[in-house]
Amino acid sequence: MTAMTLQSISSSDIASVRQSHPQAFGSTFSTITRWAIWLSVIFYVIGSLYYFEVYRLLDASGRALNLIAAFFIWEDMGEWQYRQIYIGIAQTLGMAFLGTLLGTLMALFIGFFAARTTMPFVVVRQIVRRILDILRGVDQLVWGLVFVRAVGLGPLAGVLAIAVSDTGTLSKLYSEALENVDRKQVEGIRSTGAGPLKIARYGYLPQVLPIFISQSLYFFESSTRSATILGLVGAGGIGMIIIERFRANLFDQVAFVVLNVLVCIFVIDWLSKKIRARLIGETSH
Amino acid sequence: MLAIKNLTKSFKTRNAVDNISLDIPDGQMVGVIGRSGAGKSTLLRMINRLAEPTGGSIIFDGRDVTALKGRELLEWRANCAMVFQQFNLVGRLNVLTNVLTGRLYHHGLIASMFQVFTPAERAFAIRALDRLGMAHTALQQADTLSGGQMQRVAIARALAQEPKIVLADEPIASLDPMNAKVVMDALRTINREDGIAVICNLHTLDTARNYCDRVIGLFEGRVVFDGPPSALTEQAAREIYGAEADEAFSESMTSTTLKPAGTEVPAERLTEADLQQRARAELLAG
Repeated sequence: MTAMTLQSISSSDIASVRQSHPQAFGSTFSTITRWAIWLSVIFYVIGSLYYFEVYRLLDASGRALNLIAAFFIWEDMGEWQYRQIYIGIAQTLGMAFLGTLLGTLMALFIGFFAARTTMPFVVVRQIVRRILDILRGVDQLVWGLVFVRAVGLGPLAGVLAIAVSDTGTLSKLYSEALENVDRKQVEGIRSTGAGPLKIARYGYLPQVLPIFISQSLYFFESSTRSATILGLVGAGGIGMIIIERFRANLFDQVAFVVLNVLVCIFVIDWLSKKIRARLIGETSH
Repeated sequence: MLAIKNLTKSFKTRNAVDNISLDIPDGQMVGVIGRSGAGKSTLLRMINRLAEPTGGSIIFDGRDVTALKGRELLEWRANCAMVFQQFNLVGRLNVLTNVLTGRLYHHGLIASMFQVFTPAERAFAIRALDRLGMAHTALQQADTLSGGQMQRVAIARALAQEPKIVLADEPIASLDPMNAKVVMDALRTINREDGIAVICNLHTLDTARNYCDRVIGLFEGRVVFDGPPSALTEQAAREIYGAEADEAFSESMTSTTLKPAGTEVPAERLTEADLQQRARAELLAG
């Protein structure tokens, strides 16, 4: 018996193997389909780049350079209204915090109505879930516009927008956590003669609370970011200050504000990571 | 007194509990034995009303437990404490709070929501823990305990309910023999000292023999044996465990031997002198 080498494969070998195992060589149809998909994707990308006039990037390079330079050359720093800027940042943080807190409190309540384990009545559960879908489905920015119309310009509109959209998402997440609890612990509480509210408090809440808090902290982080954007539609906070500076071509100030916001977000990220680690770390097995 | 009359629980294809009638007087220690799936758990869960019977009734002190609703049902559950195979403690609460959950039925709603317990309740809970030798762990988070410790805390929770009857569903099935003995001794002590009836599901014959005043054998949801442990012959055991007549059946097959405290001298209490004496006796005997 001789060792098989690649060289020793003759065309007649190929033909016979092709005869016995045709699927090993791939079918013409699948090859064509694959190429067709690739080609259409490539054409679609090129087409849309052309449609959106990407070539204008090349013309704009001079302007882009000027803009970037404007961000980095800080002038007249003595005249910047620091007070206003930092109040704006504080307002944004406040909006994010208050909005998330309100959303959390609502979700703490609504979550129990949306979870299969805690809400046995299908109709109620489905109605609650559909309402949550609506709260979640409408973007936060749209809620911002709605509340600016409803309560006027300013941070209150931002707080409400964050609260409403966070309620939608957090309730959904909370209800999923509630559906994954250890039923045995709940049964232990039930067997002592505790009523439904007490079962929720002692059977469910201790199990899900760390998850709830951790999720709400994530939402506080992301709300801080989105609260900046909410300001752009007039819902108060630092976004309003950014857009005003931008319109006045004060790009150096815009850069300064954005840097400050970034620092705040880093600090919040770091803090919430610490808190989360503490909470999750409590379980020791 | 607990009277069970024609109690039945049907699932789609079979009867988990099939027309069981039993009278359990106050202060009796009852062991319910049988193979897994014989209906032991379902029976106990129905008594506590964690499971709903499909037929028959459970009467406690002249009151039909199966008809209770709302607040009265909760009161019954509070009176009829349950101990589970998997302990069913709330892992993230500390031991003391877990025991205090035994008071929830009696506790006000607002105070419950804010986890406010009175000094009297706390002292009572600590006493209950102390009886089980677990008071030193009071502030430890429950999921840091070992299985045996958890089960003792679970019994303390049952005691905190000031129950009229204790139902123990396979309390030692998840424990090693040493812890199993501690837990069974605790249940027997509660039964003897407090005069509380204890109904205990066991899958091991010898434990039932050693600890219980009365043994009830279930097979496929029906009572096939009911009597004192002494009446539990090998023939009866075969019937309970469904062993074929020609099959070898030995009690030791059903589990490890557990002897209640006091029936033998534990090894660690032997002194040096005892050992010497024993060795001499063995020599003399040849």
